[in-house]
Amino acid sequence: METKLLVPQTRGDVVARKRLTEVLDRGRSARLTLVSAPAGFGKTTLLTRWLADRSTPVAWVSLEEGDSRPLRFWGYLVAAVQRAAPGVGDGAAAMLQRGRPDLDTVVATLVNELATAATELVLVLDDYHLVDDPALQACMVDLVEHLPAKVQLVISTRVDPALPLARMRARGELVEVRAADLRFTLPEVASYLTEVSALELSPDEVSVLESRTEGWIAALQLAALSLRGREETSAFIADFAGDDRYVVDYLVEEVLDRQSAPVRQFLLQTSVLDRLSGPLCAAVTGDPDSQRMLEQLERANLFVVPLDGRRRWYRYHHLFGEVLRTYLLDAHPGEVAELHRRASRWYDEAGDPVSAVRHAVAAGDVDRAADLAELALPTLQRDRQEGTVVEWVGVFPDELVHARPVLAHGFVSALMSSGQFDGVRERLDELEQRVPAGRGDPPQGTVVVDRAAWERLPGSMALHRSGLALIEGDPDATIAHAEQAMSRAAKDDHLTRAGAAATAGLARWTRGELEDAHRFYSLAVDGLRRVGHVSDVLGCSITLADLRITQGRLEDARCTYEDALRLAEHDPAPVTRGVADMHVGLSEVALARNDLAAAAHHLERSRVLGDAGGLPQHPYRSRVAQAGLAAAEGDVARAVELLDDAERVYFGDFAPNVRPIPSMRARLHLALGNLDAAASWARARRLSAGDQLSYLREHEHLTLAMVLLAQHRAGRAGALEDATRLLERLRLAAQEGGRHGNLLEVLVQLALAAWTAGQRSGAAELVRRALVIAEREGHVRVFLDAGPALAAVLRTVSPNSSGGRHAARVLGVASPVLALPLVDQLSERELDVLRYLDTDLGGPEIARELSVSVNTVRTHTRHIYAKLGASNRREAVRAAVRLGLLRTARR
Amino acid sequence: MNTAPAAPSGWYRLRVEGRLAARWATRFDGMTLVDLDDGTTLIEGPVVDQAALHGLIRQVRDSGLSLISVQEVGSDRSRTNPHHQRSQS
Repeated sequence: METKLLVPQTRGDVVARKRLTEVLDRGRSARLTLVSAPAGFGKTTLLTRWLADRSTPVAWVSLEEGDSRPLRFWGYLVAAVQRAAPGVGDGAAAMLQRGRPDLDTVVATLVNELATAATELVLVLDDYHLVDDPALQACMVDLVEHLPAKVQLVISTRVDPALPLARMRARGELVEVRAADLRFTLPEVASYLTEVSALELSPDEVSVLESRTEGWIAALQLAALSLRGREETSAFIADFAGDDRYVVDYLVEEVLDRQSAPVRQFLLQTSVLDRLSGPLCAAVTGDPDSQRMLEQLERANLFVVPLDGRRRWYRYHHLFGEVLRTYLLDAHPGEVAELHRRASRWYDEAGDPVSAVRHAVAAGDVDRAADLAELALPTLQRDRQEGTVVEWVGVFPDELVHARPVLAHGFVSALMSSGQFDGVRERLDELEQRVPAGRGDPPQGTVVVDRAAWERLPGSMALHRSGLALIEGDPDATIAHAEQAMSRAAKDDHLTRAGAAATAGLARWTRGELEDAHRFYSLAVDGLRRVGHVSDVLGCSITLADLRITQGRLEDARCTYEDALRLAEHDPAPVTRGVADMHVGLSEVALARNDLAAAAHHLERSRVLGDAGGLPQHPYRSRVAQAGLAAAEGDVARAVELLDDAERVYFGDFAPNVRPIPSMRARLHLALGNLDAAASWARARRLSAGDQLSYLREHEHLTLAMVLLAQHRAGRAGALEDATRLLERLRLAAQEGGRHGNLLEVLVQLALAAWTAGQRSGAAELVRRALVIAEREGHVRVFLDAGPALAAVLRTVSPNSSGGRHAARVLGVASPVLALPLVDQLSERELDVLRYLDTDLGGPEIARELSVSVNTVRTHTRHIYAKLGASNRREAVRAAVRLGLLRTARR
Repeated sequence: MNTAPAAPSGWYRLRVEGRLAARWATRFDGMTLVDLDDGTTLIEGPVVDQAALHGLIRQVRDSGLSLISVQEVGSDRSRTNPHHQRSQS
């Protein structure tokens, strides 16, 4: 509901409370502004009045019961920020749309976005007591501690929040407005009663009212209402002062007594509603003039608060709403259920099944509520509202859910989509006992409202089993259940069929059967196309292209992305989610071909579309692609940072993680000469050259081989042999699986190993094989990434042999990494001297350290400068770092 | 405030500011309301557990009532006599 994010309307006629708005102004330099007082103390009015005089953008959230579910809470908070400062919060919002976002990261992202935003902001969380809950606490503490100074956080609440208030108070980081401050002082009471309410009262009478209400504005407001139009004000005031009844109770009764019977009845009957609109109230009260009644109540200041500027939605002031419900319950206890029932019916017809269900439950009509819930499931599922469905899991009694297979199945589906797998297996087991595998009528004792959903049940249940097996890492069971789902699903049940094809495809991918995986995934895409789920088609395209890239088929991958983009162009939605992802994919293909300009262009396109234009895995994939480009451009340190970033936002969306970020990072560490970091990664992953190979660990094992080669260069005995044996096995595995993309990388490393072992012709033959495969699809990057040593091998390939032309092309690419060794590689001794250039030592000291003459050091230094194209020591160090010849210890 | 008869329940007494009309008894379902001469009200009755107690206190809060004290007065109904209490206060 949009109204949650609107600053409530201010009535013009309120007392200006300068002493309090000044306190709120001081909150700009505090960490937290806390407005904490019981109901009816005018917290919201104070805030809206204060904000009305300021020009700073305001992100406002009116919290309600149930908003303490973390996803919902952060969803509203981020949406409020986006409303107030367009563009700010888009990244956090994109993360929240994932199945199981990491909330720490969401908060960190939001804080970052706020910090880099140009604008100041006031962020108000109104009625925070409704959500203050251990589930939110840690992230809220984080938010409070890290919010940039230009954002003023204001919490208004009836109960002090579970935040480190004492500590903030001690440090002067907390600005507070509490009940004692909010109580109206005598002059404020006078101003309210005589000016705002235009009552003619003597100073004594004002004083009596002030003391009887203790400056509580809720009571003062009621007193003013009671006094309006009354002849005998002094008698009323005397009675009121002499009575010791609960002040609100006394006054509400007074006020209600003075209303006409229709108004009184309207107030009581509509008190069951959380929100009021003309049509809704008409349905509940039977009074067709309800809209006029609401406007009349607003004008008379009778308990209602407008929620939007168009006089469409109102709510009762919380405190009066409570009191009115108490009156209703006392006066007409038998009516309450019927009022809820009417509200439920109205909401159902208005297309708001969630509210309809809530009122049906309140009416005690659990069965009707279940009917409504069941019929709402397909829409909620399509709109990815699984959070709402998950809430219903706790609302309906177990016996009722058991008797309703379609509803029970909807719950399973929602739990799985929101990443909650606990107990899902048991629920499926239970369900399977009730649903016959074949099609047919629901058995005795079961209730089915959505007959079409019942027909789909057997197939869909098998699909869920398949998904569960995939999560549990059991590809065989995944495939078996997927096949069952397909055989059970009706011909026209495209969604179930597409889903089953997708899980079967993913399971085959996990097993390294790429061609089969591609075939099944293509089936899934066909099905999704047919039902118009464009974003899902784009999501599947990522998988299809990834498979092709693993097979080394860059051109097919490119076409997959381009086809998907063409499909998106015809999508009526203004921005189709997934378009950004397609550009990230295209940049990866371009990078593999070393077309850095095109890679940068596509990354820029995806950046402009933003995380919001991307699928859940976009934040992660785009950072990985940026890291690849940064490394190719020679900024390896930046690439490592980007990978760290990517790791924080990782989301695989069911796809097997075949290119783990830590493994990619270890390769970059090798390029930076940081062998320790790479070796400790390999240890932590418990990798060893003798491991049994599996496709899922192929990337890691290849990285291990690279680590071993580097260790050999550092003098570790046996490392070269271990690396070679491991690479030979990897080569066989990749060849058998048709994974030519991976095979290329393996061949290049094998060639390096052979070269290092002094087997020059063997190395040349290996690299020639790689060149032949690479030439067809235009792979270039794989050779450049192998570093300077490979250039020497490439140069031994005869231009006339097969692969020779591609070798010349690779060598011709002006890449700093490769261009250098073509001229001349640094000798061992020069490398030794180079390391000292990155210290504070002078020439003579370096000479002493290396036990050589100063002249020798000078000669080496001169050679180093020449080879690195540097004219002084600083340039040489910088060039060496960029080339990965030096670690970045001094930066 | 539903209290299953079999549930082990404590007996609690909340004291709030102001006298409450009888209609509030429906509001605090299952509890007895006793007005005292000093202009305060006792809300008294069985409370099954801590969650229920906090729920009760929350209702007091949401009704805008000022809470003066909360007291456990034993788990046996017969031990308490609000009217006796009244004469003491």
